[in-house]
Amino acid sequence: MPVKRQIRMVADLNKCLGCHTCTMACKTMWTDRNRGQMHMYWNNVETQPGMGYPKNYETQGGWFNVADRNSIPLPNISEAYGSPWEYNYYEVLQTDGDDTSASELVPSPEPSGSGVYSSNWDEDVGAGIFPNSYYFYLPRICNHCTDPPCVDACPRQAVYKREEDGIVLVDQTRCRGYHHCVKGCPYKKIYYNPEEKVAQKCIFCYPRIEEHKGNFCATQCVGRVHHVGYAEDTSSSVYKLINKWKVALRLHPEFKTEPNVFYIPPFSPPTYSSTGKVTSTPRIPFEVLARLFGDTPGQSLNQRADRVKEIFDTIQSERNKVASGGNSELIELLIPHSETDRIQV
Amino acid sequence: MAQPEFGKTKAEAGASTEALAARQALAKALLEKGALAAKHVLALDLLERVHEPIGKYPYRGWETLYREQWNYDSFGRTTHSVNCTGSCTWKVYVKNNIAFKEDQYADYPEISSSLPTYNPRGCQKGANYKEYVYGPQRLKYPLIRTGARGEGKWRKASWEEALSYIASKVVETISNHGPDTITFYSANQAKFAITYAAGARLANLIGGVVCSFYDWVSDLPPGEPMTWGVQTDSCESADWFNSKYIILWGSNVLETRIPDAHFITDARMHGTKIVAIFPEYNPVSIHADIFIPVKPGTDCALALGMANVIVNEVLYDAAYLEQYTDMPMLARVDNKKFLRESDMVSGGRADNFYFWNQKTGKAVLAPGTMGSSNKTLDLGTIDPALEGIFTVSTLSGEVKVTTVFSLLKQKLKAYDPASVSGITGVDPGLIAEIAREFAAIKPARIIEGAGVNHYYHNDLNNRSKILIAALTGNVGIPGGGFDHYVGQEKFWPEEGFFKLAYPLGRSKQRFQPMTLWTYVHSNITSDVDGLWPHPISTYIRESVNNGWMPLYPEGTLDSGRSPKILFIWGANYLNQAKGAEFIIANLLPKLDLIVDIDFRICTSGLYADVILPAASMFEKWDLSTTDLYTYITPFTPVIPPQLGSNTDWQIWKDLACALADTKFSFRDTLPDGSTINRDFSTLVEDFTAKGTLDSDKDTAQFILDNSIETKGMTMDAVNEQPRRFVATSEAWTSDIRDGAAYYGFQRMYELKQPLSTLTGRQQFYIDHDWFLNDFKEELPVYKPPVDGSKYPLRYLTPHGRWSIHSVWRDATYQLRLQRGRPIVYLSPNEASVRGLADNDPV
Repeated sequence: MPVKRQIRMVADLNKCLGCHTCTMACKTMWTDRNRGQMHMYWNNVETQPGMGYPKNYETQGGWFNVADRNSIPLPNISEAYGSPWEYNYYEVLQTDGDDTSASELVPSPEPSGSGVYSSNWDEDVGAGIFPNSYYFYLPRICNHCTDPPCVDACPRQAVYKREEDGIVLVDQTRCRGYHHCVKGCPYKKIYYNPEEKVAQKCIFCYPRIEEHKGNFCATQCVGRVHHVGYAEDTSSSVYKLINKWKVALRLHPEFKTEPNVFYIPPFSPPTYSSTGKVTSTPRIPFEVLARLFGDTPGQSLNQRADRVKEIFDTIQSERNKVASGGNSELIELLIPHSETDRIQV
Repeated sequence: MAQPEFGKTKAEAGASTEALAARQALAKALLEKGALAAKHVLALDLLERVHEPIGKYPYRGWETLYREQWNYDSFGRTTHSVNCTGSCTWKVYVKNNIAFKEDQYADYPEISSSLPTYNPRGCQKGANYKEYVYGPQRLKYPLIRTGARGEGKWRKASWEEALSYIASKVVETISNHGPDTITFYSANQAKFAITYAAGARLANLIGGVVCSFYDWVSDLPPGEPMTWGVQTDSCESADWFNSKYIILWGSNVLETRIPDAHFITDARMHGTKIVAIFPEYNPVSIHADIFIPVKPGTDCALALGMANVIVNEVLYDAAYLEQYTDMPMLARVDNKKFLRESDMVSGGRADNFYFWNQKTGKAVLAPGTMGSSNKTLDLGTIDPALEGIFTVSTLSGEVKVTTVFSLLKQKLKAYDPASVSGITGVDPGLIAEIAREFAAIKPARIIEGAGVNHYYHNDLNNRSKILIAALTGNVGIPGGGFDHYVGQEKFWPEEGFFKLAYPLGRSKQRFQPMTLWTYVHSNITSDVDGLWPHPISTYIRESVNNGWMPLYPEGTLDSGRSPKILFIWGANYLNQAKGAEFIIANLLPKLDLIVDIDFRICTSGLYADVILPAASMFEKWDLSTTDLYTYITPFTPVIPPQLGSNTDWQIWKDLACALADTKFSFRDTLPDGSTINRDFSTLVEDFTAKGTLDSDKDTAQFILDNSIETKGMTMDAVNEQPRRFVATSEAWTSDIRDGAAYYGFQRMYELKQPLSTLTGRQQFYIDHDWFLNDFKEELPVYKPPVDGSKYPLRYLTPHGRWSIHSVWRDATYQLRLQRGRPIVYLSPNEASVRGLADNDPV
């Protein structure tokens, strides 16, 4: 049975600062005080192109059908999510009034060797050859999919979707940590807690949503990247951006889960030719964006690239309109004056 | 995707029904025997089937778990004093007396409905200051050093012992060496006015030396005092939205001004063209309309190349230059000095200057100069010539004169786009194109940051960029100009702060430029000594002897006097130091006592003799302001001072008390010859103004009451909601106006008020002998980076995303989002030449 209302989020990647305030806003609220959560970032920001978080999640697969169940790998905590390093503060900073035994703060385990990784390992690395280097930031939470494979994957039926807002949750009392849901999510947005032996994930800050406040990753975002609202609310900015102006796309729609987090694809400065002249080609190749973003599972890569171009044209022409003194609903949406302009819950 | 039936085939489902029944029976038996706790029953698959997990999940009682995690008892308002220019107002949630979650308050009142608001303001560092409040870095009680300096051996001390030890050393040092050997250093009153004022107030009362900070950390753009006569005056970030053309020039706002960066991305969506000029493709470049890579340290040449195009193609605003710059002022052809009134008239002033009035064909005194009684830039009936060579009759005969603009034009010839391309690596056509755009699109703005300011010739770099902003008539208008942001530099409600920090008056305070003090007392050997006709020490001596710059203790250069006590609070002096090895080797041995006051042990603390634990940023009343916006932001004690810490106001008050106990007194002769009788027995009364300034909240209110910017505000009201300043003092170059973002030099442009430069205008020509003869920098010129060709690689040290100076550099949650350790980026080609792979230690 479909849910009564579905919460949605749009992230405008032309606004993302890569500052990880969303990551920290989430971390300090939900996963910094209980055991076994240090490797988890329910919200993370990854530099694209890059390996993402957990490492290479885009190629891990998901619970598309029962037969996949045994072939999907389970990400290893230190090699895929990254070791949550601890530091020797007590050896370096003897604030208790004693001798110190070390002169330098060092992480443990040492971040070296072939298996080393962390959630933001690829920060600002990107691709391309200077001066035509390129990268952009991709903030990610659970997509609270309309057709969530994690729900199907759970043999105990401990994963469910709430009727009133479509938020996908793992019942923390019913879950027994089989971690099939971790395998089941192609976005790898469910995390296994090895201490509590349960699966845990982004809860879309439902205790806040229930108070008609935005989720922390969205409200604390200083780049004002996020729009949050209900899919059914035609007056919401998410509806206008997704359905009316059609400038927001899904991440990997070919995963067929119908994510409810959408992205406005990023512009990029033009490349330079081999003789040092400015071209009119954006430095992020369209195929790179098309590989990530699209509307529906059935679209070809070319169709997805065309959609990205169409979105760029739409935004650019509205931007020009405003620059020459005109008005534009789209540009007003993209320059939210204050929180209520982008968050309607 | 079709909904599979319980994730299993029908056959599997049938088979498991039997097994389930058997296990249920077993579980029931075990439960009845008491051998199995109820909570384990579910593990044996005593599960009711959920028919509709999408939309009709029946067991939702557990959801209280996360609601409880979000529940809080109270919340309070505070901010962070890390000199990041954020000054962001944060809401800290408290449960069971633990500050457990930080969220932006996001309640800055809007300036105008046509400008985006400042809400929410913050970053990922401010979102997790609690790590320090409860972290192992936190100091718990006073520590006294037991080993060698920097060795890290300490013993716990009581407050009484630590303060009386410090007090006895202070008295002993004043008796033996004089009060000007006691030096006080903190970084920046704007980030914590009360904390700063506490130490400065005691220094003022006992005769100590208070050091500067903005020059010392090289945040100061020296081109601003040279050209504009101000330390810095920049627009608040909301005014970026008013620009139509923005050059981000060495200011990577996506990393370094995170709370303000949205005004750039907002402006871009609004149609503003964003140009990013950097040596590397960095975070802010990704949101630019064009990225222009420039060779490191050659930005000044690029600016002069743009100036060349603007002047050659006559794209400049001549009327603006005539009224608001020194471009029409006359300079002598023979000695290149300005033509002064003292050249022309017996008894004439040296600080009055001339135009060539085209209407009368005569040299005429310019209004608004430093010596002029006519305090306006209004030209009246004068029509100044911008170019030409003229003859004037001076007291010593006829002299040829020309204009500053003519001299500039001559100087700029060297900076044609082709030559500049050779220096900067930027395509000559592109140089011309951005010059033309910058001149054509108004308002246009240059945003500058530390990236281009931390070069030896940063003054020339600043002056060149200000030059193109002025040539195009952009300084003094909304959305236009040259705006530099690094550090919080000055506190808006300045007058109240000065009254609090310097109760005997600023004229009775020994102030010291920290750069000079450190340089001299650390015997720093400089790699720029050989650049000039004379060694740096010669210029320093001339400056100190002429009284241009104070150097304490008095007589240092001749008698070898040296500082004896250094107080450091709310600042990491050693971390900031360029040449820290000289400080450790040469300055520290001169010091009998180093006191560090901080909430944590930082590098400076590691080398101190006594460390006093200060309240954290969650635990005191204080005030913060920043150049990036126009609000007063309070700190409040969301929780009480933790462990054995105390607020800074309390610590300095207690030290005043310990000093009062000594009943010491002495007669102090100040550099101006006046004397003060300093009687420590009344020190507590003096420090607290007879008890009226007892608490940090009282002192914060004192500042609000005594400043025009905050007239009528109360601490309780600004805790309720941050307030926008209601007016600006003469320390600012513009008025604060309702409905408009603050920007610089409005009083110059609109009200024709002269600047405090010698010529009263934006002054590009400096006819000081050093500039004319020794440096050849009378006008902006390009000089390559020092030792730029000596090494194969250039090491750029921009501010980072993950720390503010040394704060958060040692924070676990920040480090986990990096690579666990500090990193450097290296070009893949350069790395492979050196046999280096990603993540190798270097």
